[in-house]
Amino acid sequence: MAPKKREGALTGYRVLDLTDSKGAYCTKLLADMGADVIKIEPPCGDLGRKMPPFLNGEPHPEKSFYFLYRNANKRGITLNLESDEGKDILKKLAKSADVLVENFGPGYMDSLGLGYDVLRGINPKLIMAGITEFGTDGPYRDYKGSNIVDFALSGVMITSGYSGKVPTLLPGTPAYDAASVAADIQILAALFCRDTIGKGQKIDVSVHEAARHGLYPWSVTIYSYSLTPGGPLPMPEGRLGAQIFPVYPCKDGFVRVVAITPRNWQALVRVLGSPEVLLMPEWENFIYRVGNADDLYAIMVEFTTKFTQIELWEAGFREGVPIAPIYDIPTFVNSADATARKFFIEVDHPVAGKGQYPGPPYKWTETPASVRRAAPCLGEHNEEIYCGELGLTTDDLIALRYDGVL
Amino acid sequence: MSRAALEGVMVISFGQGAVVPDAGKILGELGANVIKIESSEHLDFVRTLGPKNEVAGFNETNRNKRSFGVDLRTDKGKDLVRRLIKMSDVVAENFRGGVAKNLGFDYESVRKFKPDIVYISSQGFGSGGPHSDYPCYGPMLSSASGMLSIWKQPDDPYPAGSNSPLPDHMASKHAAIVILAALDYKRRTGKGQFIDMAQTEVAAALMGEKYLEYTMNKQVPQPMGNRCPYAAPHGCYPCQGFDNWVAISVFTDEEWRSFGKAIGNPAWTQDTKLADIPGRLRHVDELDKRMAEWTATREAKEVMELLQSAGVAAGVVQRAPDTMNDPQIAFDKALIELDHPTVGKRLYPNIPFHMSETPPAPSSLAPFLGQHTDEICRELLGISDEEIKGLKEGKILESP
Repeated sequence: MAPKKREGALTGYRVLDLTDSKGAYCTKLLADMGADVIKIEPPCGDLGRKMPPFLNGEPHPEKSFYFLYRNANKRGITLNLESDEGKDILKKLAKSADVLVENFGPGYMDSLGLGYDVLRGINPKLIMAGITEFGTDGPYRDYKGSNIVDFALSGVMITSGYSGKVPTLLPGTPAYDAASVAADIQILAALFCRDTIGKGQKIDVSVHEAARHGLYPWSVTIYSYSLTPGGPLPMPEGRLGAQIFPVYPCKDGFVRVVAITPRNWQALVRVLGSPEVLLMPEWENFIYRVGNADDLYAIMVEFTTKFTQIELWEAGFREGVPIAPIYDIPTFVNSADATARKFFIEVDHPVAGKGQYPGPPYKWTETPASVRRAAPCLGEHNEEIYCGELGLTTDDLIALRYDGVL
Repeated sequence: MSRAALEGVMVISFGQGAVVPDAGKILGELGANVIKIESSEHLDFVRTLGPKNEVAGFNETNRNKRSFGVDLRTDKGKDLVRRLIKMSDVVAENFRGGVAKNLGFDYESVRKFKPDIVYISSQGFGSGGPHSDYPCYGPMLSSASGMLSIWKQPDDPYPAGSNSPLPDHMASKHAAIVILAALDYKRRTGKGQFIDMAQTEVAAALMGEKYLEYTMNKQVPQPMGNRCPYAAPHGCYPCQGFDNWVAISVFTDEEWRSFGKAIGNPAWTQDTKLADIPGRLRHVDELDKRMAEWTATREAKEVMELLQSAGVAAGVVQRAPDTMNDPQIAFDKALIELDHPTVGKRLYPNIPFHMSETPPAPSSLAPFLGQHTDEICRELLGISDEEIKGLKEGKILESP
C-alpha cells in the first residue's frame, strides 16, 4: 500500500466551489491546504477553461494554463443550477459542506432559491461567501467589472508603469486575487469560531473594496497625511517606480535597487567601486535622487554595466544595500532558491500531461500544503460524487445528463 | 455586542516593514490580541521613513495592535517576551534571515518552551536557498520572481513596476491565511507548527499560469501591457486633464455594439472590420488610437458612468482623491477617519470584511513605540509599577 499522503491543515473540510476565474484563487488556496474542494461547473464548463495561455497554444477546455493552475487540487462536477433537479442536488451537497463560495453577482443565488437563508436552513453550520464586483448594494451595484477595470479602480494602477507613459496592468488577475484572499481570511476566521458561536455565517466580499485593501492600502492614507489646512494640494500621484526603486542595466540584464537611507546609498557607492562622481554629498539625499533620477541614471549606467546581476546582488548584501536581479520567468524557475525549496511540483493531468507547477508559497512542518492532484477534467468526478456520495445510479446520471442537469 | 471571530487569540509580532505588520493588522481586525515587540534599538524601519509617529504607511499598517517596548538584547527583556509567548497562540516574524535565531526566538528555540505555538516566518526568498539571509523589500520580490519582467508595455525600455511596494501587501494576506488555517488546525488537534513563507514565491503564485507557459510550452512569457489576447478594446485611455486615464474593456460583440451606441455610433464604431472579436484584435492598434481620441476630450468619471450605464466595463484609473469621492466607497464606508494624537484626523482604509455573525469592531490607531508597555506588564505579566519603573531605568523596557 502506498504511504498515506500527509494531511493538510484543512483536510476534513468540504468546500463547494461555484466560482469562475474571479474566485478560483480563493478556493485554490483552501485546496492547497487540504480542503476537499468540489468545483461545480455548468454543463458547458467554467469560462476559465477558455482563458489563455493554452498548452501548445491550442485552445481546448482541458489545456488552459489559467484553469489548470488555479483549479489544481480540486475535484470537479457539472451541475445546472437553473434546473429544478440541479437546485435539489446543490441542496443535498450543501448538507455536508462546510463552506460555499460563489461569485455570480448580487442577488443571483437568492433568485435561484439558493440564497443563504435557504441554505442555512438546510445546514446551519454552513459558511457562505459571495464575491461581487462592486458589493451587494450601493450605486455601483450593477456596474460591470473586469480585470483591468478593477485594477484601475484599486488606486494602484496609476502608480504602475513607466513614467510619462500609460498606466500598466500588473500581470495576472490582481484585483480578483485580492478579493479572493479577503474571502479566504474571512472564511477561515468563520471556521475558527464556528463551534464557539454554534453556527456558520454569510460573508460578502466586494472586489472594488477589497482590491485596494489587498494590493496597496496606503494610498488614501498617504494622501490624507499630506493635506494641511489651507496648504497646497499634494502633487498628483504618478508612476515613479523607476525613480524611487531604480532599475539599472548590468552586464547580463537589469537589477533593481532599494536604497532609501543614506547608509543604503553609501553602500551602493561602495558596491560600484566608489567612483568620484557618485561621492557628491547631494546624492545621499533620497528625495534629491528621486528628483534627479534621469541625471543619476545617466551617471550610474557607466558603473552598473561593469558587473553581472549576481555580482551586484551579492555585493549589495555584503555592503548593506538591497539589490535584486530582474529575472525573467525561466531564470526564476531554474534559480537556486526555487530549486532548493522545491517550489515547482510535478503534476500529471490526464489530458495536459505532466508539468512543473508553482507550488504553495509556504512550507509547513506538520500539515504540508501541496499540489496533490491535477485540475479536474469537465465532470470528472460526477460519478464519484453523485453515485458514491449522493446515492444516484449510473442510469440516473445518464438521464440527468440528457436533461441538461449535469 | 457580538463576539469577534478571533476573540481569545494572542499573537506576538516581531514584524517590520509591510508583510508581518499588515498580517497582524488583519488578525487584530478580526479580534485577536496582537502585540508588536519593538525597541528603539530594533526599530521597525517604516517608523523612520518620516517624522516620529507621523509616517502614514506605519500608522496604516500597524493599526489594531499594541506595542511592547523591550530590548531583546537583554536577558531580562528576552525573559519577558518568553513569558508573553507562553501565553500566546501565534508568533510571526520577518526579521532578516538568521536574526530570530541569534535572538533566541526562532521556531526551534520557541517550541522548547511553547510546544504548540503556531510560528510563521517570512523572508523574501524563504529559507533553504542561498539567499535566505538576504533582506528583501516589495520591489525586489517582483524583480527576482520574474513578475517584473512581464509587468511592462512591450515598448518600455525596461520594466519600472510601481512606486507602491507590490506585491508586499498580497504576501501579508497569504501570511494571515496560513496563520488562520494553522490556528484552526491547532484548535482541532492541539498541535502547533512552523510555516516558512517565501515572498518571492507569493509573487509567482499570483501568476502561476505564466510559469506553465515556460515549464510546459518552453516559451518565455512576454509582456502584454494592457492588452488581452481575447478582448479588444482592452486598455487604459487618456482623459481630460493631467495624467488622467480611464480603463475600458469590451469582451463580447454585444458589448461592442452597446459601446458604439453609448458614444453616439460614430462611423469608426460601425466599421464592419471591428464588428467581431477577431477583427477588433487584428486591428487593435487602430482601435486603441480611435478609443484614445474619443476619451481624450472627456473626463474619466464621465466616461466611466456613460459606459457603465450602457453595460460596458469602465473605470477611472483612480488616485487617492478619486477614491475619496467614489460613491460606492462612500456607500460601503470603505474609508474611516481616525483621530491620531499627533497627526489629527486622517483617513484610513476600513476593514473590507463583511461577516454576518462576527462583524469586526472599528479599527484602532497604530501605537507609539512602547505605548502599551506598562499596560501589558500589569495585565499580562503581573509586574508591579515599581518594578516597571526599574526595568525602564535599566533600559530593558521603554515607553513613550
